[in-house]
Amino acid sequence: MTALATETRRTTAPAAPGNPRAAVLALALFEARRLLLRLPVLLALAGYAAWIVWRTLQPWDDYPVLQDADRATQGGPLFVGLAALLGANHAVLRSRRRDTERHLGVLVLSQGHRTAAHALSVVPLALLTAAGVAAQFTWEAFKPGAVGTGSAAELVVGPLTVLLFGVLGVLLGRLAPSAVAAPLLVVVFFLLFVGAAFPFAGEESGAAWFAPVVSAAGTHPFPSGLLGRPAGWHALYLAGLALTAALLAVLLSGARTRTVQAALAAALTLTVLGGVVQTSGVPAATTAARQRASVTPEKDQRCVRRGTADYCAFPEWTPRVGDWARVVRRVQALAGGTAHGRRLLVRQRVEARYGLDGDAALAPSTTPYQVTVGTAWGGNRIPEFSTAVAAVLVAGDEKAAGELCDGRMVTVMWLSLAWQSDPEARLRNVRLDDSLTGSAVVLAPTEPLTMTAGQTEVVRTLLDRPSYGVAARVKAHWTELTSPQVTTARAAEILGVHAKVGADRCAE
Amino acid sequence: MRGVIPALVVPVWRTLPWRTLGAAGAVGLLAVGLPRLSGAHPDPWTALALLRSAALAFALGLAFLLDDPARHTTTPVPTGRAARTALRVALVAPVAALWWTAVLLLAPGAHRPPTGAVTLEAGATCALALAAATVAVHRTDAPRPGRPAATALLATALLAPLVVSDRWVLFVDPRDPRWATAHEHWAWLLAGAVTVGCLTLGEPLGRFRPTADRPT
Amino acid sequence: MSPASLLLPSAQECRMTVTVSASGLGLRYGRTHALDDVSLRLGRGVTGLLGPNGAGKTTLLRVLATAVPADEGAFTVLGHDPATARGRQELRRELGYLPQTPGFHPDFTPFEFVDYVAILKELTDRAARHREVRRVLAEAGLDEVRGKRVKKLSGGMRQRVALAAALVGDPGFLVLDEPTVGLDPEQRMRFREVIARAGEDRTVLLSTHQTEDVAMLCHRVLVMAGGRIRFAGTPAELTARAAGRVWSSTGRDPGAKAGWRTGAGTFRNVGDPPEGADLLEPTLEDGYLLTLDGDPAEVTA
Repeated sequence: MTALATETRRTTAPAAPGNPRAAVLALALFEARRLLLRLPVLLALAGYAAWIVWRTLQPWDDYPVLQDADRATQGGPLFVGLAALLGANHAVLRSRRRDTERHLGVLVLSQGHRTAAHALSVVPLALLTAAGVAAQFTWEAFKPGAVGTGSAAELVVGPLTVLLFGVLGVLLGRLAPSAVAAPLLVVVFFLLFVGAAFPFAGEESGAAWFAPVVSAAGTHPFPSGLLGRPAGWHALYLAGLALTAALLAVLLSGARTRTVQAALAAALTLTVLGGVVQTSGVPAATTAARQRASVTPEKDQRCVRRGTADYCAFPEWTPRVGDWARVVRRVQALAGGTAHGRRLLVRQRVEARYGLDGDAALAPSTTPYQVTVGTAWGGNRIPEFSTAVAAVLVAGDEKAAGELCDGRMVTVMWLSLAWQSDPEARLRNVRLDDSLTGSAVVLAPTEPLTMTAGQTEVVRTLLDRPSYGVAARVKAHWTELTSPQVTTARAAEILGVHAKVGADRCAE
Repeated sequence: MRGVIPALVVPVWRTLPWRTLGAAGAVGLLAVGLPRLSGAHPDPWTALALLRSAALAFALGLAFLLDDPARHTTTPVPTGRAARTALRVALVAPVAALWWTAVLLLAPGAHRPPTGAVTLEAGATCALALAAATVAVHRTDAPRPGRPAATALLATALLAPLVVSDRWVLFVDPRDPRWATAHEHWAWLLAGAVTVGCLTLGEPLGRFRPTADRPT
Repeated sequence: MSPASLLLPSAQECRMTVTVSASGLGLRYGRTHALDDVSLRLGRGVTGLLGPNGAGKTTLLRVLATAVPADEGAFTVLGHDPATARGRQELRRELGYLPQTPGFHPDFTPFEFVDYVAILKELTDRAARHREVRRVLAEAGLDEVRGKRVKKLSGGMRQRVALAAALVGDPGFLVLDEPTVGLDPEQRMRFREVIARAGEDRTVLLSTHQTEDVAMLCHRVLVMAGGRIRFAGTPAELTARAAGRVWSSTGRDPGAKAGWRTGAGTFRNVGDPPEGADLLEPTLEDGYLLTLDGDPAEVTA
């Protein structure tokens, strides 16, 4: 009986009297639950989840390059971070708003402990964001078309941003105990970090790295060795900043102990270290590597043979050779004459000399029967590559293909599109103005080609017909169709299209 | 009733949340003024974003306009809530106008968007803030309903550019051909906010659902 | 006592001039009935409203003070019906209200705050208003601090500022929600004086947890529980409910509803006494406790 009574008393007694650390942890869990259930946070989390799903399901994202996909996880958590800022600030000011500070002020757990608990209460939200980031990245990595390698330092930026913003909300509550302060800070942060009003936004190196998320993203993914992003130092900087803000808030709450001061000094050192190193610019070795990869890619590349073509790619892209070979095989199958069995060299190229956000076009290659393929794939990149293969088969090299102005353009575009599903839609995609009539610029991995209105009409008529019939005619008349003397009118005649086509560009 | 409003001007002026409005106004001025002081030349789109942010900041301050710590004492008095609220708005209006003029003067002249149009946007934003505040006062009997009103305004302002469909444009560039259409929409927003504000200005005579903490 | 019997005027009510009368008042917060078919009549003098926490006292006072409209039912105060905008305004001209949690503008002085409330009560003649403000400040004992800022005042002083704000304009109907809470005994005595004086020619309704306040101040008393009125009558009638049900014993009596050891060392028990018990003189509190005990299911609701 006595033993039972003692037992009961023990279980109902407070968990660990005299252990403030356990109490802070318990309080942090309590606050974390409240934070996670606040409406702005719930809204932000729902929006974040929707954003991940929407983004990852986009067709242009079927062939992710993982050293870019890791960075792409950083934008969404900004909204969760802003909500965390509001929520954490709201929680810190609660005791003041409800006038319970007089009551709480005399409890065992000091204000400093309570502030620490508020700062810790953001951690579960940051972990939830980390789960979101992990889910997004894993989804990308498991796509069949994924290549490259991600960086853990880039992946932790999202969760660290949430942590930093939440802790800043706590610090703000201690610095300026006003209900309007947090919404105003959210406006400022939104303007700076989402609305791109940050003075150095868009720059690849230097002071731009003081912002939490630096997502300089060009259209052409770089091999991971050429990125030159100080991701690790940036993560250190963010973590140090979050820690500094948290410790400062604790210090401002009256906990001016040696330990807190020493920890603050250490956190500040980490922040300064990360902050300084990350802004020191792109390392010289990376610049040299970018130069080499842009000018002499063959030095870094690995080549494999598939069918009639050799494929030389940066090592991270070799899994994609199969996708390229499929396009080459389909185009070549439609070609006639010597082109049908022609040895091609497909070389991957990247223009890395102008930085990650540079969008300089690749110069067309003058090497005979060499086709350029970029680092991006999927969406419009497939018909663009198909056009390049067809153009090189017809014209001999990319430089010559860019100057095509006669009837050969009909053959090029038909070869490029006929094998694809829904060729008219693909035609629309590769034309710069998304049109299906009139003259237009046609995109390719290097320099674009040009179609006249007449060529467009002939190609569309051919695409409407069964491809085996057209293929037979193309093969039968291959030499004439690929001769520089052929006009569009003549090509139409050979292929059995009765349409009024205007003069060719070169005849003007 | 006559004579009450003039007598109320001074005490109500003193009860206005000047510190909150001052902080909001200062943030707005800084948002526009700092780029100017630093000699940066923001492009037209950024200049417009800065002005919009300044207006939003001030509107967030306005969401707290109807906060009244003495609300429980000042509710059951013969001078109605509509009159008291209208007086608050009337007192703050000239200050807001002065502040907005200062913001416009601070905005870099070369890239300043059309003044009338951005003023309409700012006016609509402030009207939405006040409507949110009157709705909050209408729906709860909490003495300080400003915070939820401000949070709702903030969430709306941040999410609207992402959520508003392309068929009902609001946030466009001055060079966009839809600029005029967008400002028709802003005018509708302003009208809607004013209507909601006026409808929720008075005190309900009959049944309403207080959502505040239940009194004990 | 059933609600129907409450509607029938008691002998005392027949003698009094009814200034406030309410019938069938109801108000719900979500699923909770804060007020459930409340009917009452008040006359001049001080009426005390007793009840446990959550009984609906504050809600009833807020409804009568027109701070919140009721869902159901109707009431009039001094002939004014608040169901119309005009009636509500007329009623508010006759009303003084001290809320349970009065807030203040912390930068105002007591004079400025009461003056502000006086303007809101349409006292527009400046000189007369200032005279009136000085009068109520003196009545509430705030003469010495009337130039200090409210944020510098103690809790008791602030409560007096709120009382002064309720008294300003000489209202005919005073609604005071726990006016003596948080006051020291001396301040409480002072409040009782002011309230008793106000009740000489006005209708005063005050809610309280202090049965002594009711015993010392009130002509009539209402007991509320679970959103309903459980007793309406004089303090003497409430006390009389405990007659013969309070007794003294040497040990804790198992039959008692409540029992505690007094300073004298004996136990004071309330409930159903055993045969031959040593009966004691009942107090108002005993009557109150036994009234609440009448229907425990509803009391705890």
